[in-house]
Amino acid sequence: MENLYRNTAPKFKTVDSVEILPSLKHSLSNNIPVHIINGGSQDVVKIEFVFNAGIWQQKKPLIATLTNTMLNEGTTSLTASDIAEKFDFLGAHIGFSTSKHDASVTLYSLKKHFSETLALLADLIKNSIFPEKEFKTILTNKKQQYQIDHQKTNVLAKEKFTEMIYGKNHPYSNIYDSSEFDNCSLQEVKEFYKKHYTPDNCHIIIAGKVDDNVLTEVEDLFGKNKWTNQIQSIDFDHKIIGSKEKSAFVCKGDAVQSTIRIGRKLFTKTHPDYTGMQLLNLILGGYFGSRLMQNIREDKGFTYGINSIILSHLKDGHFTIVTEVGAEVCKAAVQEIFIEVKRLREELVSEDELTLVKNYISGEMLRNLDSPFALSDGLKGNLPFGLDNTYFAQFIKDLKAVTAKRIMELANEYLQLDDLYLIVCGPKECEEAVTFPK
Amino acid sequence: MIEFDKFTLKNGLRVIVHRDETTPMAAVNILYNIGAKDENPERTGFAHLFEHLMFGGSINIPNYDEPLQMVGGDNNAWTNNDITNYYLTVPKANLETAFWLESDRMLSLAFSEKSLEVQRSVVIEEFKQRYFNQPYGDVWLHLRPLAYKEHPYQWPTIGKSIDHIEKATLEEVKDFFFHHYAPNNAIMVVAGNVDTQQVKELSEKWFGPIERRDIQKRNLPVEPTQNEFRSKRIDSNVPFDAIYMAFHMGKRMDEDFYIIDLVSDVLSNGQSSRIFQSLVKEKNLFSSIDAYITGEFEPGLFLITGKLVEGVAMETAEAAIWKELNKIATIKVDEYELQKVKNKVESSLVFSEISYLNKAMNLATHELLGDADDINKEVEKYQKVSVADILNSSAKVFRKENCSTLYYYSKK
Repeated sequence: MENLYRNTAPKFKTVDSVEILPSLKHSLSNNIPVHIINGGSQDVVKIEFVFNAGIWQQKKPLIATLTNTMLNEGTTSLTASDIAEKFDFLGAHIGFSTSKHDASVTLYSLKKHFSETLALLADLIKNSIFPEKEFKTILTNKKQQYQIDHQKTNVLAKEKFTEMIYGKNHPYSNIYDSSEFDNCSLQEVKEFYKKHYTPDNCHIIIAGKVDDNVLTEVEDLFGKNKWTNQIQSIDFDHKIIGSKEKSAFVCKGDAVQSTIRIGRKLFTKTHPDYTGMQLLNLILGGYFGSRLMQNIREDKGFTYGINSIILSHLKDGHFTIVTEVGAEVCKAAVQEIFIEVKRLREELVSEDELTLVKNYISGEMLRNLDSPFALSDGLKGNLPFGLDNTYFAQFIKDLKAVTAKRIMELANEYLQLDDLYLIVCGPKECEEAVTFPK
Repeated sequence: MIEFDKFTLKNGLRVIVHRDETTPMAAVNILYNIGAKDENPERTGFAHLFEHLMFGGSINIPNYDEPLQMVGGDNNAWTNNDITNYYLTVPKANLETAFWLESDRMLSLAFSEKSLEVQRSVVIEEFKQRYFNQPYGDVWLHLRPLAYKEHPYQWPTIGKSIDHIEKATLEEVKDFFFHHYAPNNAIMVVAGNVDTQQVKELSEKWFGPIERRDIQKRNLPVEPTQNEFRSKRIDSNVPFDAIYMAFHMGKRMDEDFYIIDLVSDVLSNGQSSRIFQSLVKEKNLFSSIDAYITGEFEPGLFLITGKLVEGVAMETAEAAIWKELNKIATIKVDEYELQKVKNKVESSLVFSEISYLNKAMNLATHELLGDADDINKEVEKYQKVSVADILNSSAKVFRKENCSTLYYYSKK
């Protein structure tokens, strides 16, 4: 038997390139773009309809979300309970989601039931009637959920943060009062549906076992005729108004932990510094081995977790550090976070650490992009920027080229103390934690 | 059908290999047969705290995470009342790194005082974050001791209270390790883009030399049959009233486990399910409601949890739930309705098999419960359930004297 050297790591290979199952582009006869990712081991299909019908496009709070959710609540031929009954019997799952610039309806179906489930989905998208009773139920339940969520320090801190960097009325903060639930009219929802859920305002992503039959069925139901809803939608413009104040305390008297948020407005993923900042973010707080996690959690034991993220919306984006810490260590945690940011500005990242994060993120890409369903999520995020999933290969290539010197430059350009906002939400005694270092 | 190979090392470590070529990754999942139910009632939360310490360095490798991240790997772990489960994924070419890391921490930990001190704090923050800093977060701290009087399921995995965590000593940590962490008390599943021969060689090389250990024999108190209705009232700083009902049911390997699982599906799986349609959509009594089983290995609980619509009286809401429970316990479901929930189960199994990591975890659990191949017999077990089964099992479970109810009132 060969000798076992337990204190020496085995040889390993770095991931040099990520092979990504390509997506194919196709158009229905009425020009709806269809993106196809064909593969996987199971006989299942996921089809997602994405409409430009998000928070950005609504004139009043809640309208985009309510419209999207209400698609499940009745059509010209089926009641809400008929719809639920049919999807459940076919073992299908239907999901609704509304985000900043779009709203989507996603069907997960066994391949063998795809014709039937797709026909149901077509009915929902094309013939929804928005019944009054279901609308009231949804408003009541969503309002209660809102009130429960607004007991949480992380929700309150997030609202304050986005308010300060984007402005209270900007869609990227999407802040509204619980009284908005009482001011929603069904008429506005119906109008939003007519205006935005149209063939010329959507695209389709299909993933899984996608064969010609699947495409024929999609063409038959969505491509042949003009839908009943045919109004060209217009885009809105929203101005960002950042706060002049750079810090805030939100009091939540009975909380036993405080949420800390530190961050700034940044840019979208098409900005030339985006990739470099992603690497910087990874080092700072983007994975378990990150500096913040090692310092604040693994050395000090102040928190169960601390992360930083860079989020790119379509027209702008932000960087933020988030954690929940015990009230008694809140002040110390804030100062430690600033120390880690300062280190990025003043010290070069070592070659060992740089290699480690580059290797880690390459593995992470491989791990996260290994199935058609995961790739379809990635594609959905890339398409609005005029990109497809080849973006990921380029991203990894560019990321690997970022140097320690460049990271220090980026930290100095974007993460000066003057650039950062600081928000703490927690019990009264944490107010004194809202302090920038001298 | 999930195909796999299975072999056992001389030291008792069971190894299962499942090949899935659709991924460029490999997963290594190690299940240790130790959970919160094995804890000393004066030191609850220990199994979970111990899970944290498994990342604090092992006998020959000072840092677990870094070498794994260096090869593009990622990992995590979870503890429940029955087991502790560790998993990692690596690009397939770096499978050996996983064996090196996992075998060393099975061999022995570094037992660092600093790691214990820090992880005690981390777990206490986790306790606060999940149980005290969330509305309704402390429900399990009240409901479990209401439903269980003798059995260790009376405490949640996180522990009964923060001061139990504070008291943990390094001696206890060592003792726990050598009595519960051992090749003969673990099951390893390697899944993904791997082959059996390679896994055999790596297993022999890295895990083969670890010696068997004496495992502390499990001797759990039996929960006496509940003979009278129990209830408890909480008044808390939450926006709405809520109700939590717990019924005793059988254990994971009992004949009627699959029946009762389908009962919970009839009641609340999907938007067409009974209590969602009747209590949320038609009667507007609840803003959300759910029925589910804990699925624990020892006799577990059937739970119904709901948040009341503002203005609805607790008594009205409770009576409406009982009406639904009495209905399923006295009137047969129709064949169509039963077929519907069976279809849903079958479909979710098909979707769950997309993930190689998911398959690895499920294979490990099935092997511990009896035989990994049972994973392929589940659909059949669900298909066999009849309308009479649903009726009989419902009648057995949904009795007032078998119920513990937590009334969670809003103080406002």
